[in-house]
Amino acid sequence: MSTQPAKPARYGMAIDLDRCTGCGACMVACAVENNVPPARAEATPRTGITWMRVYQVSDRDRAAFVPILCQQCGNETPCASVCPQEAVQVDPATGIVDQMPQRCLGCRYCMTACPYHARYFNWWDPQWPPGMERTLNPDVATRMRGVVEKCNFCHGRLHAARTRAAAEGRRELNPGEYVPACVEACPAGAIVFGDINDPASEASRVARQDGSFRMLEALGTDPKIYYHTARAWVRDAVTKETDRG
Amino acid sequence: MLSHFIFLGLFYTVLAIICVTVAAAFVRAFEDFRARRAEAVCWEATFPDLPARDRVCRHEFTGEFKHRTCDRAFDCRECQQHAALVARRPAEAGPAPERYYHRGHTWVQPEPDGTVTVGLDPLGESLAAGPEALELPEAGARVQLNGPGWYARKRGVRLRILAPLDGEVVATGGADQGWYLKLKPLDGRFEMRHLLRGAEVQPWMAREMERLHGALAPAGQAATMADGGMPVADIAAAISREDWEALCGDIFLLP
Amino acid sequence: MDSQLMPRGVRRCSLPQFLLWIVPWCALLVFGLYGAGLCLVKGLNQTNMDNRFAFGLWIFLDLTVIALGAGAFFTGFLLYILKKKELKAVINSAVVIGFICYSGAVAALLVDVGQPLRFWFTFWHPNVHSMLTEVTFCITCYLTVLFIEYVPIVLKNRKLRQIPSFLVFEFELHKLMPVLAGVGTFLSFFHQGSLGGLYGVLRGRPFAFRDGFAIWPSTFFLFILSAAAAGPCFILLTTWAVSKISGRQLVRPGVLPLLGRISGILLVPYILLKSVDTLVWIDHTAPARGFAAHQFYAWKPFGEWMLFAEILIFGLLPALILLGRRFRERTGLLIPAAVLVCLGIAMNRFVLTVQTLALPTLPFDGFMTYLPSWQETATFLAVVAYGVLLYSLSFRYLVLFPQEKDLPQPRPAHERERAILEPVC
Repeated sequence: MSTQPAKPARYGMAIDLDRCTGCGACMVACAVENNVPPARAEATPRTGITWMRVYQVSDRDRAAFVPILCQQCGNETPCASVCPQEAVQVDPATGIVDQMPQRCLGCRYCMTACPYHARYFNWWDPQWPPGMERTLNPDVATRMRGVVEKCNFCHGRLHAARTRAAAEGRRELNPGEYVPACVEACPAGAIVFGDINDPASEASRVARQDGSFRMLEALGTDPKIYYHTARAWVRDAVTKETDRG
Repeated sequence: MLSHFIFLGLFYTVLAIICVTVAAAFVRAFEDFRARRAEAVCWEATFPDLPARDRVCRHEFTGEFKHRTCDRAFDCRECQQHAALVARRPAEAGPAPERYYHRGHTWVQPEPDGTVTVGLDPLGESLAAGPEALELPEAGARVQLNGPGWYARKRGVRLRILAPLDGEVVATGGADQGWYLKLKPLDGRFEMRHLLRGAEVQPWMAREMERLHGALAPAGQAATMADGGMPVADIAAAISREDWEALCGDIFLLP
Repeated sequence: MDSQLMPRGVRRCSLPQFLLWIVPWCALLVFGLYGAGLCLVKGLNQTNMDNRFAFGLWIFLDLTVIALGAGAFFTGFLLYILKKKELKAVINSAVVIGFICYSGAVAALLVDVGQPLRFWFTFWHPNVHSMLTEVTFCITCYLTVLFIEYVPIVLKNRKLRQIPSFLVFEFELHKLMPVLAGVGTFLSFFHQGSLGGLYGVLRGRPFAFRDGFAIWPSTFFLFILSAAAAGPCFILLTTWAVSKISGRQLVRPGVLPLLGRISGILLVPYILLKSVDTLVWIDHTAPARGFAAHQFYAWKPFGEWMLFAEILIFGLLPALILLGRRFRERTGLLIPAAVLVCLGIAMNRFVLTVQTLALPTLPFDGFMTYLPSWQETATFLAVVAYGVLLYSLSFRYLVLFPQEKDLPQPRPAHERERAILEPVC
């Protein structure tokens, strides 16, 4: 019984920056869904693990929030091309960039390569305070110390959705049948998820709207996360070259 | 896929080259032992490590070269330079020399019955006189040119006296008899081109004496005759252990 | 006491004096191993590296040390392949230094990765498109070659060479040295280059990214050239330093200037190519990726002075000194020039590792800073201590400088006194 869809999909997101309030529900939902260990007391913003991370951009008295996660680069994926152990594989059926923590050596070359800083290293042994291990999601493997991890569009949910569809005799997933945790958790509905290859999907519709753009386009990584905003200053702050000169 | 093959192909090729090289060295070393070339190889391997002053070409003594270091480990048998220079010399008049000398300070005296007697020259004798122990090879044993001839232990240093010829030991003597080995040739005749004789000997001896004095002078005193003759006292006892080891190495060509 | 183990014809300091030298380095080694042990046992949280500074002090120093150890392959190439016989004077020392540099770097790398026991994964699942795979394979092979080149030097120890089988094996292996030198050159060419390629391929880091030739960015070739230029300088420096510390004449007077000249000759094309590469990067490569080059230098203290310093002060200036015969024959100019070259190489590696990571890529990001923790510094000091210890033992008991026994040596003080006081016959 095959659980692979018949046509390759390119799963992506469209994030509406005008709706994001910076509440961080996506960050929490992501951590809970993916068994991210609670941060140690000594952890800093630069050593904590946040597969989904909301940044703030400001302009004098205005602020906007930008959720950054793995952009699932489609062209010469920087992290995949540099991993010496082939622990990063791009899934041709979904376009998702998969990270294999059990093969990861912990060399962190992929982290140097990622321009979006979307990869995180386990600087400590993951530890859950007593009792908290009951919150672990059984569909997602935990990782060990010394390996890199990152957003994989909640792959556990993809597998669960495919299994359900296969049980019903379908090979295709219905829209909305598979959504990552962050998409589900956002109270403002700022994140839309879907198959960008499918012109009918909401995600590809928002991606094609005026005012939609991708991060660091000039690098040519072909990311699958589209950002949308009607506010020119936000777009400038997020896409402009850092001109401090 | 092609890049996979190229990359791994190159890697395994390099690995193979490394392994084959090391294996070849092992195999050749094994062959050297089997062909009983080990002693000659040991000498050839350690010769370049001797100081330059120990490796002076014999043709410097006769003035045919101003400065020349031997690059053949004192094996003049195959040396082109030596053959050319000998051919250029006028024919030697007079009887054949009674004794030939080896760079390791042994002399070789051909006997009428085709054997040779081997002993230590005066300089060698003065250093190795009265050894604490003497290890001579047994009768029937074979010695190789520039391999170990015999061993003498003097003031803690195990001196290796170089064998001046390829040969088979027929008899052994001792310091009191004035000779150490009697050898018979392996293939009918002895090869003696590499031994010093005639006009070469005196300048060589003089130079070695100079080296001896040079080695002794700064460190200690040895009672010598005013005209620079042989030191009469026991040199080994007169100088420091370190200097004694260095001196032995220089004179007897120990690596 | 241990004079039986020392090479004949050379003097070394007394055993108590030697132990006095060794003990502080042993202490440093123990301290450093403790720091490294903490990192291995407790995890890399013992370092100050983080998700933005994934590479830190260790990678920077590994790259520098490997570039400086390039003297081993380059001297071997010049001696065994191009037959420059004068380099026989330093080849043994170069091999030992190379071995120390590479083994130390590999040891530091094993502490640097999060899962050292998985080191063999790269060999089992190689990603042939990754520069780091290439580096791993080449460095492992090359360390093996260096070890094989080190073995004959050890076998020629005064005591060990008395075992005939050792000596015969050494002799046969030495005859095949040109093969190993050739393999070493081939491997070094690729891994020195790939270490440069590590950064040149980072399309996500426009500061480091470079166009190049086929699959190799320009940094690939620049690293090879700079390593070949730095190697002889490092050998020059270590020979001079060892000579000063031991009070012995180790090489003939012409050898050090020769090494300097070789460095100088290689520095010139390196500086030229690097300047061209920098201009291409400023005019074309960086803007094509959405960044103006001057933006990268807007962050203090990494201003534009770094570019000029690297190319002019640490590149062109020593090159001019090393190429001028009258300059390089003066030790007072030769040594500082060599130091500048080595510092220049270190600076180049620093710029590509630390500065690359410090610079922001996302527009709303800031400039990052990083200072290594004491455990990181201690680990590196352990490598230094290991190097000094291994070299000291090799210098005392093995022949690292074959010309030493033929050179006039300054008489030790106590003997000079005796010669004055007592009449010579």
